[in-house]
Amino acid sequence: MNTRIIAKLDVKPPYVVKPVHFEGLRKMGRASELAKKYYDQGADELFYIDIVSSLYRRDILFDDIEKVANELLIPFAAGGGVKSVEDFSRMFHMGADKVVINTYAVQENPGIINKAAEVFGNQAVVVNIEAKKWNSHWECYTDCGRIQSKIDVLEWTQEAEQRGAGEILLQSVDADGRCRGFDIELSEKVVNLVNIPVVVSSGAGSLEDIKTLVEVAKPDGVAIASLLHYDRATIQDIKQYLSIDNKQK
Amino acid sequence: MDNLIGIVNYGIAGNIHSVKKSIEKAGGSALVINIPSDFNLVDKVIIPGVGSFKDAMQELNNDGFIGPLKSFDKPILGICLGMQILAKLGLEYGRTNGLDLIDAEVKPIQCDGKVPHMGFNKIQVTKSCALLNEIEEEEFYFMHSYEVVNYTDIAALTEYRGHSFVSVICKDNLYGVQFHPEKSRDAGIKLLSNFINIKV
Repeated sequence: MNTRIIAKLDVKPPYVVKPVHFEGLRKMGRASELAKKYYDQGADELFYIDIVSSLYRRDILFDDIEKVANELLIPFAAGGGVKSVEDFSRMFHMGADKVVINTYAVQENPGIINKAAEVFGNQAVVVNIEAKKWNSHWECYTDCGRIQSKIDVLEWTQEAEQRGAGEILLQSVDADGRCRGFDIELSEKVVNLVNIPVVVSSGAGSLEDIKTLVEVAKPDGVAIASLLHYDRATIQDIKQYLSIDNKQK
Repeated sequence: MDNLIGIVNYGIAGNIHSVKKSIEKAGGSALVINIPSDFNLVDKVIIPGVGSFKDAMQELNNDGFIGPLKSFDKPILGICLGMQILAKLGLEYGRTNGLDLIDAEVKPIQCDGKVPHMGFNKIQVTKSCALLNEIEEEEFYFMHSYEVVNYTDIAALTEYRGHSFVSVICKDNLYGVQFHPEKSRDAGIKLLSNFINIKV
Protein backbone atom coordinates (compact mmCIF):
# COMPACT_ATOMS: atom_id res chain seq x y z
CA MET A 1 0.00 0.00 0.00
CA ASN A 2 1.15 3.50 -0.80
CA THR A 3 1.92 6.15 1.76
CA ARG A 4 -1.22 8.21 2.17
CA ILE A 5 -0.86 11.82 1.08
CA ILE A 6 -3.09 13.90 3.30
CA ALA A 7 -3.96 17.58 3.15
CA LYS A 8 -4.04 19.21 6.58
CA LEU A 9 -6.13 22.26 7.29
CA ASP A 10 -5.36 24.16 10.47
CA VAL A 11 -8.50 26.16 10.91
CA LYS A 12 -9.71 29.18 12.76
CA PRO A 13 -13.25 28.79 11.40
CA PRO A 14 -14.08 29.44 8.69
CA TYR A 15 -10.53 30.19 7.57
CA VAL A 16 -7.55 27.95 7.13
CA VAL A 17 -4.71 29.69 8.87
CA LYS A 18 -1.06 28.92 8.85
CA PRO A 19 0.65 29.13 12.18
CA VAL A 20 4.40 29.44 12.14
CA HIS A 21 5.66 27.10 14.88
CA PHE A 22 2.12 27.22 16.13
CA GLU A 23 2.40 30.99 16.75
CA GLY A 24 1.13 33.87 14.64
CA LEU A 25 -1.65 33.14 12.17
CA ARG A 26 -1.88 33.88 8.49
CA LYS A 27 -5.23 33.46 6.68
CA MET A 28 -4.89 31.09 3.72
CA GLY A 29 -8.48 30.80 2.49
CA ARG A 30 -11.82 29.31 3.42
CA ALA A 31 -11.64 25.76 4.73
CA SER A 32 -14.40 24.46 2.47
CA GLU A 33 -12.77 25.93 -0.62
CA LEU A 34 -9.32 24.58 0.15
CA ALA A 35 -10.81 21.19 1.02
CA LYS A 36 -12.39 21.04 -2.42
CA LYS A 37 -9.17 22.16 -4.07
CA TYR A 38 -7.07 19.42 -2.44
CA TYR A 39 -9.76 16.83 -3.03
CA ASP A 40 -9.68 17.70 -6.74
CA GLN A 41 -5.89 17.44 -6.70
CA GLY A 42 -6.15 13.83 -5.52
CA ALA A 43 -5.62 13.94 -1.75
CA ASP A 44 -6.13 10.56 -0.09
CA GLU A 45 -7.59 12.13 3.02
CA LEU A 46 -8.19 15.44 4.68
CA PHE A 47 -7.43 16.48 8.25
CA TYR A 48 -9.25 19.45 9.72
CA ILE A 49 -7.97 20.79 13.00
CA ASP A 50 -9.65 23.72 14.70
CA ILE A 51 -6.49 25.07 16.25
CA VAL A 52 -8.05 27.68 18.49
CA SER A 53 -10.91 25.75 20.02
CA SER A 54 -8.93 24.26 22.91
CA LEU A 55 -6.96 27.40 23.47
CA TYR A 56 -9.97 29.73 23.68
CA ARG A 57 -12.01 27.11 25.54
CA ARG A 58 -14.87 27.71 23.19
CA ASP A 59 -17.37 25.27 21.73
CA ILE A 60 -16.59 23.35 18.59
CA LEU A 61 -18.00 25.00 15.47
CA PHE A 62 -19.74 22.01 13.96
CA ASP A 63 -21.32 23.88 11.06
CA ASP A 64 -17.98 24.62 9.50
CA ILE A 65 -16.98 20.96 9.81
CA GLU A 66 -20.14 19.95 8.00
CA LYS A 67 -19.44 22.44 5.25
CA VAL A 68 -16.01 20.93 4.67
CA ALA A 69 -17.31 17.36 4.83
CA ASN A 70 -19.81 18.19 2.12
CA GLU A 71 -17.01 18.82 -0.35
CA LEU A 72 -15.41 15.41 0.01
CA LEU A 73 -15.69 11.82 -1.15
CA ILE A 74 -12.58 10.81 0.73
CA PRO A 75 -11.98 10.20 4.43
CA PHE A 76 -12.17 13.21 6.63
CA ALA A 77 -10.66 13.52 10.10
CA ALA A 78 -11.73 16.41 12.29
CA GLY A 79 -10.51 17.66 15.63
CA GLY A 80 -9.85 20.57 17.92
CA GLY A 81 -11.51 21.10 21.27
CA VAL A 82 -12.94 17.56 21.57
CA LYS A 83 -13.79 16.83 25.21
CA SER A 84 -16.45 14.15 25.33
CA VAL A 85 -17.99 11.14 23.65
CA GLU A 86 -20.84 13.46 22.63
CA ASP A 87 -18.33 15.66 20.79
CA PHE A 88 -17.06 12.59 18.94
CA SER A 89 -20.60 11.64 18.06
CA ARG A 90 -21.50 15.08 16.74
CA MET A 91 -18.33 15.16 14.65
CA PHE A 92 -19.32 11.87 13.01
CA HIS A 93 -22.81 13.15 12.37
CA MET A 94 -21.35 16.22 10.69
CA GLY A 95 -19.52 13.91 8.29
CA ALA A 96 -16.19 13.19 9.98
CA ASP A 97 -14.87 9.64 9.67
CA LYS A 98 -12.21 10.00 12.31
CA VAL A 99 -11.93 12.33 15.25
CA VAL A 100 -8.64 13.82 16.36
CA ILE A 101 -7.95 14.46 20.04
CA ASN A 102 -5.03 15.92 21.96
CA THR A 103 -5.44 18.55 24.67
CA TYR A 104 -8.27 17.04 26.69
CA ALA A 105 -6.74 13.55 26.64
CA VAL A 106 -3.33 14.83 27.73
CA GLN A 107 -4.39 17.42 30.30
CA GLU A 108 -7.53 16.01 31.81
CA ASN A 109 -8.64 12.54 30.95
CA PRO A 110 -6.70 10.03 28.86
CA GLY A 111 -9.58 7.61 29.53
CA ILE A 112 -11.56 9.37 26.79
CA ILE A 113 -9.41 7.44 24.29
CA ASN A 114 -10.59 4.12 25.75
CA LYS A 115 -14.18 5.24 25.90
CA ALA A 116 -14.24 6.60 22.34
CA ALA A 117 -12.53 3.49 20.95
CA GLU A 118 -15.07 1.29 22.65
CA VAL A 119 -18.04 3.20 21.28
CA PHE A 120 -16.80 4.15 17.80
CA GLY A 121 -14.13 1.55 17.11
CA ASN A 122 -10.42 2.30 17.32
CA GLN A 123 -10.15 3.11 13.59
CA ALA A 124 -12.10 6.31 14.31
CA VAL A 125 -9.86 7.65 17.08
CA VAL A 126 -6.78 9.64 16.09
CA VAL A 127 -4.45 10.89 18.80
CA ASN A 128 -2.67 14.07 17.80
CA ILE A 129 0.76 14.48 19.36
CA GLU A 130 2.47 17.86 19.35
CA ALA A 131 6.08 17.07 20.13
CA LYS A 132 8.82 19.45 21.19
CA LYS A 133 12.41 18.35 21.49
CA TRP A 134 14.37 18.81 24.71
CA ASN A 135 17.98 17.64 24.50
CA SER A 136 17.55 13.90 24.19
CA HIS A 137 13.81 13.51 24.57
CA TRP A 138 10.57 14.90 23.22
CA GLU A 139 7.73 16.27 25.28
CA CYS A 140 4.01 16.45 24.49
CA TYR A 141 2.49 19.89 24.10
CA THR A 142 -1.16 20.86 24.01
CA ASP A 143 -3.33 23.78 23.00
CA CYS A 144 -1.71 24.01 19.62
CA GLY A 145 1.88 23.77 20.81
CA ARG A 146 1.59 26.30 23.61
CA ILE A 147 1.27 24.37 26.83
CA GLN A 148 3.98 22.05 28.12
CA SER A 149 2.80 18.79 29.67
CA LYS A 150 5.91 17.09 31.11
CA ILE A 151 4.71 13.93 29.37
CA ASP A 152 7.27 12.04 27.30
CA VAL A 153 6.21 11.66 23.67
CA LEU A 154 7.32 8.05 23.27
CA GLU A 155 5.66 6.95 26.50
CA TRP A 156 2.46 8.77 25.59
CA THR A 157 2.47 7.26 22.10
CA GLN A 158 2.54 3.78 23.58
CA GLU A 159 -0.08 4.65 26.14
CA ALA A 160 -2.37 6.06 23.43
CA GLU A 161 -2.04 2.82 21.46
CA GLN A 162 -2.79 0.70 24.52
CA ARG A 163 -5.82 2.82 25.30
CA GLY A 164 -7.25 2.12 21.87
CA ALA A 165 -6.11 4.90 19.53
CA GLY A 166 -6.32 3.75 15.91
CA GLU A 167 -3.87 6.25 14.51
CA ILE A 168 -1.26 8.77 15.59
CA LEU A 169 -0.95 12.21 14.02
CA LEU A 170 2.60 13.26 14.84
CA GLN A 171 3.31 16.97 14.67
CA SER A 172 6.48 18.77 15.63
CA VAL A 173 6.27 22.08 17.45
CA ASP A 174 9.86 22.79 16.38
CA ALA A 175 9.47 22.00 12.68
CA ASP A 176 5.90 23.14 12.09
CA GLY A 177 5.46 25.86 9.51
CA ARG A 178 9.18 26.40 9.03
CA CYS A 179 9.36 24.37 5.83
CA ARG A 180 12.85 23.11 6.63
CA GLY A 181 12.19 19.40 6.74
CA PHE A 182 10.55 16.94 9.11
CA ASP A 183 11.85 15.75 12.45
CA ILE A 184 12.97 12.47 10.88
CA GLU A 185 14.55 11.06 14.01
CA LEU A 186 11.35 11.40 16.03
CA SER A 187 9.19 10.18 13.16
CA GLU A 188 11.23 7.02 12.80
CA LYS A 189 11.08 6.33 16.52
CA VAL A 190 7.32 6.78 16.71
CA VAL A 191 6.59 4.75 13.55
CA ASN A 192 8.66 1.85 14.85
CA LEU A 193 7.27 2.01 18.36
CA VAL A 194 3.63 1.22 17.66
CA ASN A 195 1.55 -1.16 15.58
CA ILE A 196 -1.02 1.43 14.57
CA PRO A 197 -0.65 3.75 11.58
CA VAL A 198 1.34 6.94 12.07
CA VAL A 199 0.72 10.09 10.03
CA VAL A 200 3.61 12.52 10.18
CA SER A 201 3.16 16.25 9.74
CA SER A 202 5.10 19.50 10.21
CA GLY A 203 8.08 20.65 8.24
CA ALA A 204 7.69 19.84 4.54
CA GLY A 205 9.50 22.54 2.62
CA SER A 206 10.11 20.61 -0.57
CA LEU A 207 9.21 17.40 -2.38
CA GLU A 208 12.61 16.10 -1.39
CA ASP A 209 11.76 16.56 2.31
CA ILE A 210 8.70 14.38 1.86
CA LYS A 211 10.61 11.73 -0.03
CA THR A 212 13.29 11.58 2.64
CA LEU A 213 10.66 11.19 5.35
CA VAL A 214 8.87 8.43 3.45
CA GLU A 215 12.07 6.54 2.70
CA VAL A 216 13.70 6.84 6.09
CA ALA A 217 10.87 6.87 8.62
CA LYS A 218 8.28 4.97 6.53
CA PRO A 219 5.17 6.58 7.99
CA ASP A 220 1.76 5.35 6.88
CA GLY A 221 0.75 8.83 5.88
CA VAL A 222 2.18 12.30 5.43
CA ALA A 223 0.05 15.34 6.21
CA ILE A 224 0.93 18.45 4.24
CA ALA A 225 -0.16 22.02 4.93
CA SER A 226 2.09 24.99 4.00
CA LEU A 227 3.48 23.46 0.84
CA LEU A 228 -0.06 23.12 -0.50
CA HIS A 229 -1.43 26.37 0.90
CA TYR A 230 1.31 28.45 -0.69
CA ASP A 231 0.88 26.54 -3.98
CA ARG A 232 4.47 25.43 -3.87
CA ALA A 233 3.36 21.93 -4.74
CA THR A 234 0.13 20.11 -5.53
CA ILE A 235 -0.93 16.66 -4.37
CA GLN A 236 -0.20 15.47 -7.94
CA ASP A 237 3.35 16.81 -7.70
CA ILE A 238 3.93 15.00 -4.43
CA LYS A 239 2.54 11.69 -5.64
CA GLN A 240 4.43 11.92 -8.88
CA TYR A 241 7.65 12.59 -7.00
CA LEU A 242 7.01 9.55 -4.81
CA SER A 243 5.92 7.48 -7.85
CA ILE A 244 2.39 6.96 -6.54
CA ASP A 245 -0.51 6.63 -8.98
CA ASN A 246 -2.89 9.50 -8.51
CA LYS A 247 -6.65 9.32 -8.68
CA GLN A 248 -7.87 12.81 -9.34
CA LYS A 249 -11.38 14.08 -9.45
CA MET B 1 -41.15 6.39 -5.65
CA ASP B 2 -39.39 3.46 -7.18
CA ASN B 3 -36.07 2.44 -5.86
CA LEU B 4 -35.82 4.40 -2.65
CA ILE B 5 -32.70 3.51 -0.65
CA GLY B 6 -33.12 3.38 3.10
CA ILE B 7 -30.11 4.24 5.23
CA VAL B 8 -30.29 2.75 8.68
CA ASN B 9 -29.71 5.43 11.31
CA TYR B 10 -28.59 3.68 14.43
CA GLY B 11 -26.95 5.00 17.52
CA ILE B 12 -24.54 7.75 18.18
CA ALA B 13 -21.86 6.55 15.79
CA GLY B 14 -23.45 6.58 12.34
CA ASN B 15 -22.00 8.52 9.44
CA ILE B 16 -25.24 8.50 7.48
CA HIS B 17 -24.44 11.98 6.24
CA SER B 18 -21.75 10.91 3.81
CA VAL B 19 -23.59 7.78 2.72
CA LYS B 20 -26.71 9.76 1.88
CA LYS B 21 -24.71 12.32 -0.04
CA SER B 22 -22.96 9.58 -2.06
CA ILE B 23 -26.22 7.84 -2.91
CA GLU B 24 -27.56 11.10 -4.28
CA LYS B 25 -24.34 11.65 -6.17
CA ALA B 26 -24.74 8.16 -7.67
CA GLY B 27 -28.16 9.13 -8.94
CA GLY B 28 -30.34 7.53 -6.28
CA SER B 29 -32.70 8.86 -3.69
CA ALA B 30 -32.29 8.05 -0.05
CA LEU B 31 -34.45 7.99 3.04
CA VAL B 32 -32.96 7.88 6.52
CA ILE B 33 -34.55 5.05 8.47
CA ASN B 34 -35.33 6.31 11.97
CA ILE B 35 -38.14 4.00 13.08
CA PRO B 36 -38.91 0.34 12.31
CA SER B 37 -41.90 1.11 10.08
CA ASP B 38 -39.62 3.10 7.75
CA PHE B 39 -38.39 -0.24 6.41
CA ASN B 40 -41.77 -0.60 4.69
CA LEU B 41 -41.18 2.55 2.66
CA VAL B 42 -37.91 1.58 1.01
CA ASP B 43 -36.80 -0.77 -1.76
CA LYS B 44 -33.27 -1.33 -0.58
CA VAL B 45 -31.36 -0.84 2.61
CA ILE B 46 -27.85 0.33 3.40
CA ILE B 47 -26.36 -0.35 6.82
CA PRO B 48 -23.54 2.16 7.24
CA GLY B 49 -20.80 1.55 9.70
CA VAL B 50 -18.82 3.53 12.15
CA GLY B 51 -18.53 2.07 15.58
CA SER B 52 -17.83 -1.16 17.36
CA PHE B 53 -19.66 -4.44 16.77
CA LYS B 54 -21.04 -4.65 20.28
CA ASP B 55 -22.30 -1.09 20.35
CA ALA B 56 -23.86 -1.38 16.91
CA MET B 57 -25.86 -4.48 17.85
CA GLN B 58 -27.00 -2.86 21.07
CA GLU B 59 -28.18 0.23 19.23
CA LEU B 60 -29.99 -1.77 16.54
CA ASN B 61 -31.71 -3.67 19.32
CA ASN B 62 -32.70 -0.49 21.20
CA ASP B 63 -34.13 0.98 18.00
CA GLY B 64 -36.14 -2.16 17.22
CA PHE B 65 -34.30 -2.62 13.91
CA ILE B 66 -33.09 -6.21 14.29
CA GLY B 67 -36.39 -7.88 13.37
CA PRO B 68 -37.08 -5.70 10.29
CA LEU B 69 -33.49 -6.17 9.07
CA LYS B 70 -33.58 -9.94 9.45
CA SER B 71 -36.85 -10.22 7.55
CA PHE B 72 -36.03 -7.64 4.85
CA ASP B 73 -36.08 -9.63 1.61
CA LYS B 74 -34.94 -6.90 -0.76
CA PRO B 75 -31.28 -5.93 -1.34
CA ILE B 76 -29.23 -4.97 1.71
CA LEU B 77 -25.76 -3.44 1.49
CA GLY B 78 -23.62 -3.45 4.61
CA ILE B 79 -20.70 -1.03 4.65
CA CYS B 80 -17.66 -1.80 6.84
CA LEU B 81 -19.13 -2.47 10.29
CA GLY B 82 -22.50 -2.73 8.52
CA MET B 83 -21.10 -5.71 6.61
CA GLN B 84 -19.54 -7.21 9.72
CA ILE B 85 -22.78 -7.28 11.69
CA LEU B 86 -24.40 -9.42 8.97
CA ALA B 87 -22.26 -12.20 10.48
CA LYS B 88 -23.20 -14.70 13.11
CA LEU B 89 -20.69 -13.62 15.72
CA GLY B 90 -18.44 -10.65 16.48
CA LEU B 91 -15.34 -10.70 18.66
CA GLU B 92 -14.82 -6.96 19.21
CA TYR B 93 -15.05 -6.06 22.93
CA GLY B 94 -16.24 -9.54 23.93
CA ARG B 95 -18.47 -11.96 22.04
CA THR B 96 -21.57 -10.44 20.48
CA ASN B 97 -24.20 -12.09 18.34
CA GLY B 98 -24.64 -10.44 14.95
CA LEU B 99 -27.66 -10.43 12.64
CA ASP B 100 -26.73 -13.97 11.66
CA LEU B 101 -27.60 -13.51 8.00
CA ILE B 102 -24.24 -14.80 6.79
CA ASP B 103 -22.26 -17.73 8.08
CA ALA B 104 -19.26 -15.78 9.28
CA GLU B 105 -17.35 -14.56 12.29
CA VAL B 106 -15.67 -11.18 12.75
CA LYS B 107 -12.15 -11.36 14.10
CA PRO B 108 -9.18 -9.03 14.58
CA ILE B 109 -7.00 -8.72 11.46
CA GLN B 110 -3.91 -10.88 11.92
CA CYS B 111 -1.05 -9.72 9.75
CA ASP B 112 2.43 -8.20 9.75
CA GLY B 113 1.19 -4.75 8.77
CA LYS B 114 -0.11 -2.03 11.01
CA VAL B 115 -3.70 -2.31 12.20
CA PRO B 116 -6.13 -0.59 11.58
CA HIS B 117 -5.69 -1.26 7.88
CA MET B 118 -6.20 2.28 6.65
CA GLY B 119 -5.96 3.73 3.17
CA PHE B 120 -6.80 3.05 -0.47
CA ASN B 121 -6.27 -0.57 -1.47
CA LYS B 122 -7.23 -2.77 -4.41
CA ILE B 123 -9.87 -5.46 -4.54
CA GLN B 124 -9.56 -8.66 -6.55
CA VAL B 125 -12.93 -9.81 -7.77
CA THR B 126 -13.38 -13.57 -7.31
CA LYS B 127 -17.05 -13.94 -8.18
CA SER B 128 -19.16 -11.81 -10.45
CA CYS B 129 -22.15 -10.15 -8.86
CA ALA B 130 -24.41 -7.24 -9.70
CA LEU B 131 -22.73 -5.02 -7.12
CA LEU B 132 -19.36 -5.37 -8.84
CA ASN B 133 -20.64 -4.86 -12.37
CA GLU B 134 -17.81 -3.28 -14.43
CA ILE B 135 -15.58 -3.12 -11.38
CA GLU B 136 -12.36 -5.08 -11.56
CA GLU B 137 -9.22 -4.07 -9.76
CA GLU B 138 -10.40 -0.75 -8.40
CA GLU B 139 -9.04 0.91 -5.29
CA PHE B 140 -11.32 1.61 -2.37
CA TYR B 141 -10.82 3.20 1.02
CA PHE B 142 -10.41 0.82 3.95
CA MET B 143 -10.49 1.75 7.60
CA HIS B 144 -10.87 -1.28 9.87
CA SER B 145 -9.25 -3.44 12.53
CA TYR B 146 -11.49 -6.48 12.18
CA GLU B 147 -12.23 -8.76 9.26
CA VAL B 148 -15.08 -11.00 8.24
CA VAL B 149 -14.02 -14.64 8.19
CA ASN B 150 -16.26 -16.39 5.70
CA TYR B 151 -15.68 -19.10 3.09
CA THR B 152 -18.90 -19.38 1.16
CA ASP B 153 -20.04 -15.95 0.00
CA ILE B 154 -16.85 -14.21 -1.08
CA ALA B 155 -17.08 -11.88 -4.09
CA ALA B 156 -13.74 -10.09 -3.70
CA LEU B 157 -10.55 -10.30 -1.68
CA THR B 158 -7.99 -7.70 -0.71
CA GLU B 159 -4.38 -8.21 0.17
CA TYR B 160 -2.68 -6.29 2.94
CA ARG B 161 0.92 -6.99 3.89
CA GLY B 162 0.81 -10.58 2.74
CA HIS B 163 -2.58 -11.25 4.28
CA SER B 164 -5.64 -11.82 2.15
CA PHE B 165 -9.06 -11.00 3.59
CA VAL B 166 -12.65 -10.80 2.43
CA SER B 167 -13.46 -7.35 1.08
CA VAL B 168 -16.79 -8.02 -0.65
CA ILE B 169 -19.45 -10.61 0.04
CA CYS B 170 -22.68 -11.36 -1.74
CA LYS B 171 -25.31 -13.91 -0.96
CA ASP B 172 -28.81 -13.73 -2.44
CA ASN B 173 -30.15 -10.28 -1.53
CA LEU B 174 -27.24 -9.56 0.82
CA TYR B 175 -24.17 -7.54 -0.08
CA GLY B 176 -21.33 -6.39 2.11
CA VAL B 177 -18.22 -4.31 1.50
CA GLN B 178 -15.41 -3.97 4.01
CA PHE B 179 -14.32 -0.66 2.50
CA HIS B 180 -16.15 2.66 2.39
CA PRO B 181 -17.59 3.31 -1.09
CA GLU B 182 -18.80 6.70 0.16
CA LYS B 183 -15.13 7.62 0.71
CA SER B 184 -13.67 6.09 -2.44
CA ARG B 185 -14.09 8.76 -5.11
CA ASP B 186 -15.44 7.60 -8.48
CA ALA B 187 -14.98 3.88 -7.87
CA GLY B 188 -17.20 4.15 -4.82
CA ILE B 189 -19.87 6.08 -6.68
CA LYS B 190 -19.80 3.41 -9.41
CA LEU B 191 -20.35 0.66 -6.84
CA LEU B 192 -23.22 2.56 -5.23
CA SER B 193 -24.80 3.15 -8.61
CA ASN B 194 -24.55 -0.61 -9.22
CA PHE B 195 -26.39 -1.16 -5.97
CA ILE B 196 -29.05 1.40 -6.95
CA ASN B 197 -29.48 -0.39 -10.29
CA ILE B 198 -29.95 -3.89 -8.89
CA LYS B 199 -33.34 -5.08 -10.04
CA VAL B 200 -35.69 -5.83 -7.19
